[in-house]
Amino acid sequence: MKAVTETSGSTEPTVNKKKKGFWTTFKEQKILYGMSLPFIIVVFIFSYLPVWGWIMAFQNYRPGRGIFEQKWVGFDHFVTLFTDDKFYLVLRNTLAMSFMGLIVGFTIPILFAVLLNEIRGSVFKRTVQTISYLPHFVSWVVVAGIVTKMLSVDGGAVNQLLMALGFIDQPIQFMAQGSWFWYIVTASDLWKEMGWNAIIYLAAIAGIDQEQFEAAKVDGASRIRQIWHITLPSIAPTIAILLIMSIGHLVSIGFEKQFLLGNPLVVDYSEVLDLYALNYGLSMGRFSFGTAIGMFNSIVSIILLLTANGLFKKFMKQSIM
Amino acid sequence: MNHKKRLSLLLAIMMLATFILSACSGGNNGNSASGGDTGNEGDSLEPITITYFSADSNANWVNMQDAVGKKLTELTGVTIQAEFAVDGSNQKLPLMVASGEYPDLVFAKGDANLFVDAGAYIDLTDLIEEHAPNIKKVYGDYMSRLKWSNEDEAIYVLPTLAAVDNEMLDAGGTFQIQHEVLKELGYPELKTVKDYENALKAYYEKYPTIDGQPTIPLSLNADGWRIMISVTNPAFIATGVSDDGEYYIDLETAEAQLHYKRPEEKEYFRWLNHMNATGLLDKETFVQKTDQYEAKISSGRVLGVIDQDWGFGNATSALRSSGKENRTYARFPIQLDETTKDATFQDTGYVAGWGVGITTSAKDPVRIIKFLDYLASEEGQILMNWGIEGEHYEVVDGKRVIPEEIQERKTYDNANFTKETGIGLYNALYPRYGDGVLDSTGNYFTTNFPETIMKNYTPSEKETLQAYGVEMWKDLWPKKEEFPVKPWGVAYNIPVPSDSNINITYKKVEEITRKRIPEIILADPSKFDELYDQFIQELNAAGAEQMEQEYTELVRARVELWND
Repeated sequence: MKAVTETSGSTEPTVNKKKKGFWTTFKEQKILYGMSLPFIIVVFIFSYLPVWGWIMAFQNYRPGRGIFEQKWVGFDHFVTLFTDDKFYLVLRNTLAMSFMGLIVGFTIPILFAVLLNEIRGSVFKRTVQTISYLPHFVSWVVVAGIVTKMLSVDGGAVNQLLMALGFIDQPIQFMAQGSWFWYIVTASDLWKEMGWNAIIYLAAIAGIDQEQFEAAKVDGASRIRQIWHITLPSIAPTIAILLIMSIGHLVSIGFEKQFLLGNPLVVDYSEVLDLYALNYGLSMGRFSFGTAIGMFNSIVSIILLLTANGLFKKFMKQSIM
Repeated sequence: MNHKKRLSLLLAIMMLATFILSACSGGNNGNSASGGDTGNEGDSLEPITITYFSADSNANWVNMQDAVGKKLTELTGVTIQAEFAVDGSNQKLPLMVASGEYPDLVFAKGDANLFVDAGAYIDLTDLIEEHAPNIKKVYGDYMSRLKWSNEDEAIYVLPTLAAVDNEMLDAGGTFQIQHEVLKELGYPELKTVKDYENALKAYYEKYPTIDGQPTIPLSLNADGWRIMISVTNPAFIATGVSDDGEYYIDLETAEAQLHYKRPEEKEYFRWLNHMNATGLLDKETFVQKTDQYEAKISSGRVLGVIDQDWGFGNATSALRSSGKENRTYARFPIQLDETTKDATFQDTGYVAGWGVGITTSAKDPVRIIKFLDYLASEEGQILMNWGIEGEHYEVVDGKRVIPEEIQERKTYDNANFTKETGIGLYNALYPRYGDGVLDSTGNYFTTNFPETIMKNYTPSEKETLQAYGVEMWKDLWPKKEEFPVKPWGVAYNIPVPSDSNINITYKKVEEITRKRIPEIILADPSKFDELYDQFIQELNAAGAEQMEQEYTELVRARVELWND
């Protein structure tokens, strides 16, 4: 198995083979440490300092007052959160949509990248690649507009096509079916992000040593065999890392798409955790409650990330930490 | 080997993370340049920049590069650096409060309580007393209505959304029907929802398509908060009650209850359910977004809408400019049955309520209040409403007159006209007189008065009005004298303490309503009763009853505060 570093493209610091004390290494690599210092500081300021704000979750936080003037309420906000039926509903929606997104939005770009790589004509290949990732740059507001218009009963393209082909007599109200909402979100997400997500795999594939393919050809391996035995194993480390990282993001999928595509009829399927935090936390000035949701979110994410990482380490000997 | 791989990976991830972070935090500076000068007493004209946030959107704002804006800067030295909430939502305000950094002036709509609770608004009582004679004059006897609450009688907000002594000059809601439909049917009498339904149906059967596209007999807008305007508010409007937000408040006892609980309104929703069952209600009603709704109306094939006129103003303009003026809408005080009368014009007194407040971040509050005072002066108000003399209006025999070509642009090209002239752009900023109030020269303060409104009706409007034997839409409505005055003004602008449970329950109730009402309307008529009862039960389970009790207390406190 190849080292991950080759595919992720970072510069590799020279590490001495023998184990040495931290200070010896530090002295030898002063410059490298110095170079990474600014980034560590930025990460600390923007990612670790704000964690201090978690303290709000245990108070009845009122803005504009010092920390000693706040009222401490212990775990009250968490109790409220975990006893709210709505919370479980939005959690279900969040997990459902993120799992569907993960499965589809993960496998299809890989498939796409592998297949695209098999195409020999370079102009065609590049054109397809460019066209496929362009939707990534279109904002969700616009995408949501396109999707609702396409699925509309009032002259929507999908309904007209289905009717012209004789599959249905009456236009279908796609956007009014709660249970379809998850699929619509997943599908529009796939359309928007497939090409973009495939780029990293295409880059990984480009880094595979061509001699391997030649050797396989000499041995009489078919295209499929080459994909199965060379391409896929070579990009497996990349796949593993990206998978672990996206598992870490399972609970925090944002709310743009759900917010923009949703409507009153599908609200039981469209409301997600982030929107819940916004509506019941921030918008109402319940900063503490919002923080409690945020904390829950972060902790679940960390647990998921560590579990995924542990499993991969054990079974695939791959990990990100 | 393993070690090496790990370290480099860690580095790669760190770089990725910092990349994302720096991308997010970039471009976030430069909005704190407020009040350049030190507290300079006196009427200085030194240039000063006042930062301003408004919770209402304002698509026509051009950074004071309009005619009125330039004039204002010239006269007062003030430049307003404004930011507007994109969709009229309140999401930015809590963030502002949390950060403790405010613009100098904030128009917070219903969320002023957040600012007051955080101590972000300063008390304006003394400032007004010392520096703002014009503001005092405009509010006059209503000064006591500016007080925050019984416990805290400070003035934090200058109500600006509601104009003083404003007379509602014309009706803008609620049941709208195309002039063309009325003409075709020979101007039938429209008193009840049944009449309305029959008119829509008769025309629909005659003309199933308009311009080759299917006719839509009735459409509503249920996108976000618009569901209140177009779907739920009409339920009380059609049953003879005036607007108190989501509550119905008993005039005698000041007792509040969610208006959906009134049995009359259940019947209104039953009618909507029936409209859907008979195929007269647009199938996309609860799925469409506002832009789709307006696009549909603009195509001229929606025969009727239940909405306020501002809810589809863009569509009306579009219809006018595309020569389909006959497909714009007439409106009627339609009721569920003949036992009630439309209370839209019920007298509320001065409603005070939403407006601007000066925050603790303002470096020179005196200068700001003086600026607002100038706007509230007679000279200022005329400039804001009429524009610049000789440019946007002329004085003929002591009367202010708007020249023909300017009026034409104002009616047919309003957005661009507003952008260029700035007329009406600054209205949320200062206390002002409303329509129908005369200034010291005997002219109206605003450009809306019965004569101009009548003059600006389009040909179809005039034709329809004539057919019904009236001069204005308002004449179709019951007069305000027919109703008692509401001593609490309007209930929806009573500030609710931000730590109160009312807010949370209200949010839940709102969500239940926005989910269930569409379901109920789209349901099979045989299931209507069952679903509606379930809906009410669900509201109560979410704590509606307790919320109603607490709200009743607030209404009573307001009545006490305002009427002593």
